[in-house]
Amino acid sequence: MSIGSIRHKIHLVTLFTVVILLLGLLYIGRVAEIVIVAALLAYILDPVVTRLERYGVSRAAATTLIMFGIMLLLVVVSCTLVPLAFEQIQSMKHEESLTTVQGVVSLERFLQKFAALFGLHQISLEELLEQLKGGLVKKLPDFLMKDSVSILVGLIMVPFMMFFMLKDVRSFKKYFISLVPNRYFEFTLDLIYKMEQQLGNYLRGQFLDAVVFGVLATATLWALDVPYFLIIGIFAGFANLIPFVGPIVGAFTASIAVIFYQGELVRAIYVLVAFIVLKLIDDLLIQPLAVGKHVNLHPMVIALAILAGGHLFGILGMLLVIPFLGFFKVVLEEGIATYRKYSFD
Amino acid sequence: MSSFWTDFLRNHKEKKREHNPLELLSRVPFFEEMNLHELKVVEQILHCREYQQGEYIFHQGERGLGMYIIRKGVVAVVSEPDNHELSELKDGDFFGEVALLDDSYRSATVRAKTDCTVFGLFQPDLAALIERDHRLGLKIIMRVARHACQRLRVSNEKIISLSAELALLKNSATSDLK
Repeated sequence: MSIGSIRHKIHLVTLFTVVILLLGLLYIGRVAEIVIVAALLAYILDPVVTRLERYGVSRAAATTLIMFGIMLLLVVVSCTLVPLAFEQIQSMKHEESLTTVQGVVSLERFLQKFAALFGLHQISLEELLEQLKGGLVKKLPDFLMKDSVSILVGLIMVPFMMFFMLKDVRSFKKYFISLVPNRYFEFTLDLIYKMEQQLGNYLRGQFLDAVVFGVLATATLWALDVPYFLIIGIFAGFANLIPFVGPIVGAFTASIAVIFYQGELVRAIYVLVAFIVLKLIDDLLIQPLAVGKHVNLHPMVIALAILAGGHLFGILGMLLVIPFLGFFKVVLEEGIATYRKYSFD
Repeated sequence: MSSFWTDFLRNHKEKKREHNPLELLSRVPFFEEMNLHELKVVEQILHCREYQQGEYIFHQGERGLGMYIIRKGVVAVVSEPDNHELSELKDGDFFGEVALLDDSYRSATVRAKTDCTVFGLFQPDLAALIERDHRLGLKIIMRVARHACQRLRVSNEKIISLSAELALLKNSATSDLK
């Protein structure tokens, strides 16, 4: 056996091991979540670090600066927005349910009229909603306590991994490419470059879209005097990343908040209309500008992917499954296109 | 005695040069007048590859992504399909530099004649370097372009002299016929 073929086998074994390790990580789930979130954030922030490098700052220093910037931003956000958000959650506990009752009663009346058409008469929403609200308020602290360790681990590990992914991305890439056999080396380099371009633009676009939609939703809800506008607005921004389901969930959350705490059905309809307008602005203006060329996927595939993502990794899975499907689509398309340009025998 | 020390020192110097990629890079025309810091930055974007004797570095007609600099060993530049050897390149020589400027296809096949170590400089890495250090990236691109122009000029001169020779031959052939 020649040295070349032995080396080729070593390369194959190394690649195989890396794939097994990655699959293992995916199987572990929680670890995979941390790695994926850190990788996505590192991907989004990479151009910022590169921009800093233009001013003669080293990669390590630029990464450290960005991390400090993020920490500072988090501290500012924690000091200003978190108390406001907690205040809003706390007020859920103590608020007198007079308006709630009014809202529920008017919704109940409306539903009863509607249900009468189908021969149904007994609908008691008040009890059901009180149970739901009580359950939510009770369960939230329990959830925070129970998952506090894993949240803390995530809060430490994500920035830690993100720092090294940002700082050493070029070394990681170079090392990975060094494992590829000579015959496929230029092809792999070409493929990685094209994938980076497509995927980077897509992910950064999605992130920008979520932020812009979140800000617009918050501003709209504030203008419409919707209670808990901040929490619902941020939630709607992130939820917008999930196709089909996200915008609907955002709109209904806001409408239910209006019915709960202001007791006005008409106002809830205004909120729904506002969300439809926001979604139209998002589809026609923000997304084409921010995301550009879409990673076109069939609606059926998207729906199945969301279900599978939700089943495997919960809400995070639902949020990340479409970028990941986009990633695999880009890999496949670019892989085939690039492969055709090289004459492998 | 003195010849022993001269040989010893020369060998030591050559070994040091052989193991120092920066020394090799500084001998490549594209990086000739660069300072140590710039050479280190360039070295960071190079890919070091090893090829066995007889192994192909790239094939004629494939898409080219960048250039190679021979760190150690000998390669043959071969024209296909007749397998005609066009030239032989060794330590410090480079090939495929035009692929740094465009997405053209390789005009010849390159095969390792001995076990080889080469450095590869490729378009994506150069593009990333330009993004974070315009000045250095531009310096490299300008030199590669200048080198390509120089080659074009030499080719043009060859074409002109060959055309003149051909015209002379045609003239002499016509006068012979008369």
